[in-house]
Amino acid sequence: MLLRQFVIIILVAAVAGVGLNLVSPNRIDFIGKYRSLSSGDGPIVPPTAEPGDPPFISIEVAELEHSNYQVVFIDARDAGEFVCGTIPGSVNIPFEYLPEGDLRPYIDSVLGGLPGDYHFIIFCSGEECDLSLHLGRTMQELGYTNLSIFFGGWREWVQFGLDVERRESCDG
Amino acid sequence: MRRLVDNDYLTMVVRLAVGVTFIYASYYKILDPAGFAKSIWYYHLLPGGLINITAVILPWVELICGLGLIFGVLYRGAAVLTTTMTVIFTVALVSALARGIDIDCGCFKVARSSSETVLDSLLFDIVLLILLWQLLVSRSRRWMLSRW
Repeated sequence: MLLRQFVIIILVAAVAGVGLNLVSPNRIDFIGKYRSLSSGDGPIVPPTAEPGDPPFISIEVAELEHSNYQVVFIDARDAGEFVCGTIPGSVNIPFEYLPEGDLRPYIDSVLGGLPGDYHFIIFCSGEECDLSLHLGRTMQELGYTNLSIFFGGWREWVQFGLDVERRESCDG
Repeated sequence: MRRLVDNDYLTMVVRLAVGVTFIYASYYKILDPAGFAKSIWYYHLLPGGLINITAVILPWVELICGLGLIFGVLYRGAAVLTTTMTVIFTVALVSALARGIDIDCGCFKVARSSSETVLDSLLFDIVLLILLWQLLVSRSRRWMLSRW
C-alpha cells in the first residue's frame, strides 16, 4: 500500500509539474545544459544567463586578460570580502550596497573615469553568486559596452592557485 | 510517552505545521523553476541532465505531500516521502558544508544570496525531522479524509 501511495504521489506530481511547465511563461527546458564544478575547460555560464548578457569567460581567459593592462577587474562582492582577498588590481563595486540614485557617476568615479567602452571583467564569489551577473546587467544598462563576466569568480581563481591580493588578514 | 505521541491534537498540530511548511516550500519553486534549478545546481550533486526535470517535479511532490498530511489523504506515503526528502536535503546540506560550498539552501525560496545560512537550514531540518518522527510513529488517524 505504501508503494502504491508513492507511485500515486510521484505520478500526480510529474503530470502536474510537466503539464504546468509546458504552458507556464516561466517554463524551462526539461533537460538543462550544465557544466560540472569548475574544471577550467570552458567558461561557467549560470542557468539564469539570458541572451544579451555580457559574455562569460573561462579561468584561462580571465588569467590571460589579467596579464593585459588594458582591462580592469571588478569585484562585485561586499567590501569585507574584498579586503580579505581578491584578484590583484581589482576595484570593488559591491552590488548589494550600490548607492541610491544615478549610478553612472558613482561607478565612473570608482573606475577612475575610464571610458564606457573600456574592457571590464566582473566577478564575485563563484558559481553560487549572482552578483557579477546583476552588476554586469546594471552596467550594461548604464551604457558600458565592453563587459565580460568571469563567473568562476574568486573561488575558481584560488582553486587554480593564481596570485591573490589581501589588503587585510582575515580569519577563515 | 506513547500516549503523548498518539495524542490526536498533537498529531493534528504537527500535521498542520509540517504540511504548511512543505506547501510554503513548494510555492516559490513552482513559480520560479529556473531559480530552483539553479539552487539544485549549486549543490553539485545531481547530473546536469537531471537538474531541470527535478526542479519541475520535486516542488509538486512537496505540495502534494503537504496537502496529504493536512487533509489525511495518501497520509502514510506523504509522511514517508516528506521524511525521505528532508533526510536527502539534510545530507545535501552537510555535503555542501563539508565541501566548503557557501550556499543559500534554496529551501524556501530560490537562491539569490546567502541570507539563509547552511547552519540555519540544518537546524531547521533537524527540528523538521523530529516532527516527522512524531507523524511516522503516531497511531492517531483522527480528522483524516481517507483511511489510507
